[in-house]
Amino acid sequence: MLDTRIAEIGTFVIYLIDLALLLLLVGLKTVHRRRVGNHDRRRQEFLGLLSRHVSYDDCIDPITPRMAEDPAFLDALIDVREVLSGHELSNLEDIVAQHGVSAGLTRRLASRFPLGRRLRAAVALAEIGDKSAAPAMILHLSDHEPDIRIECARGLARLKWTPAIDDIVARFAIEETPVRARFADSLVGFGTSATWPLLAYVRVNHRSEDAGPALALRTVGRIRELDAAGSIHDVLAEAPSLEVTIAAVEALGGIASPDSAPRLHGLLADDRWQVRAKSATALGQISESSSILLLSEALRDANFWVRRNSATALARIPDGRTALYAALVGDDPYAADAAAEALADVGELVAARRRVEAGRSVEEPLLAHMESEGPT
Amino acid sequence: MPKILVADDSETIRTLLRTALSRAGYEVETAADGPTAHSMGRDGGFDLIILDQLMPGLLGLDVIEQLRVDGVEAPVLMLTGVDDGTTAAESLDRGAVDYIRKPFEMNELLARIKSRL
Repeated sequence: MLDTRIAEIGTFVIYLIDLALLLLLVGLKTVHRRRVGNHDRRRQEFLGLLSRHVSYDDCIDPITPRMAEDPAFLDALIDVREVLSGHELSNLEDIVAQHGVSAGLTRRLASRFPLGRRLRAAVALAEIGDKSAAPAMILHLSDHEPDIRIECARGLARLKWTPAIDDIVARFAIEETPVRARFADSLVGFGTSATWPLLAYVRVNHRSEDAGPALALRTVGRIRELDAAGSIHDVLAEAPSLEVTIAAVEALGGIASPDSAPRLHGLLADDRWQVRAKSATALGQISESSSILLLSEALRDANFWVRRNSATALARIPDGRTALYAALVGDDPYAADAAAEALADVGELVAARRRVEAGRSVEEPLLAHMESEGPT
Repeated sequence: MPKILVADDSETIRTLLRTALSRAGYEVETAADGPTAHSMGRDGGFDLIILDQLMPGLLGLDVIEQLRVDGVEAPVLMLTGVDDGTTAAESLDRGAVDYIRKPFEMNELLARIKSRL
């Protein structure tokens, strides 16, 4: 009897706790919904305010320090900034400077807690921070939170704050891959100013590590400063690891300097198929007719990817397709396959078929290939 | 006073353009999605229509096409993304008179509008 009573009381207590938790959840959701609604309403008001400041040079609608600290104001500022360019953008930058927006965000970034608030401040600084925030962003490149480090690098790139480049590059050696990749994206944003620090990092470190120097080289390839090609040749001459060699070849392809063609011609004979394949691709990007003969020979390479990439490269080079037509009707079936795929990729086979159907002339090798393939 | 329709699902762009165009002396109405843009464009007697490409319900290119089928001759200016050359070209094919890439300079946009009105 007593046991039953205790069980009943226990069950009732559990029901009460459940009810209390449910009410708490409903209450929290209501508070959250109201907070979001208030945020959206304030954001709309701030959008109107900022629109007037952007559109009217003589706009005197006040922006108070309290507004400048409001997350809804920051969201509106970021949204407007993303849409505009030119003269109106400088109006926004004046607002940021005059109302101490960066200072407020920097204070929040420097606080210890909570992470969400700090991260929002870092994102806002990345989007709208002015140069007064640059020292703080450099400091927080070594923040314990990776997302904050990423946002700080992004903000420094947007400001093109070149003194930060060395600090960002220095972190290549210690960051994990996802963060390092985002740092590389930021360095591309700096443009050619980042090229030489990146190459210096490669020269110093490629003997002791692979991933960082490889990413640095690929980043140099994305930046595309022509003068960097010579330094990359020097790196290749030091016989780096496979990963670094591949990255160097990719960078040369990205930069596409004709001066790199002879170097890449030599790499078409490398023992490693990956290097041969990547070199073929890079030669296609450089697109020099001096590469046609060697790429034609590479159509007969033992490795599928070397053949494939060589064919693709030939399709890109002016007069390179003549070599592909020859391979189509040559004695090497693997070369013929590679040539056919490359020609198909550029729509040449479809175009040829249509010309045949229209009664127009077509290159003999293409005609022979279509006849061997049969009707489609 | 010339009347302009601004159709964009971005509240930021609608607010910005409403303010800037009003300042420039135009009467402005806005639409936030494709079907509304189409019905307002068809019935509203606008002197110029500014259309975003990516809108819910009906894409900007399709709105242009339907407006032309409905006999609406108002000039249409397309807003396109910075890397969206295909949309820019296709909008001209479908009847737009001009396009402007985002992010845009307000002065440039106003100049293009003025040249059409």
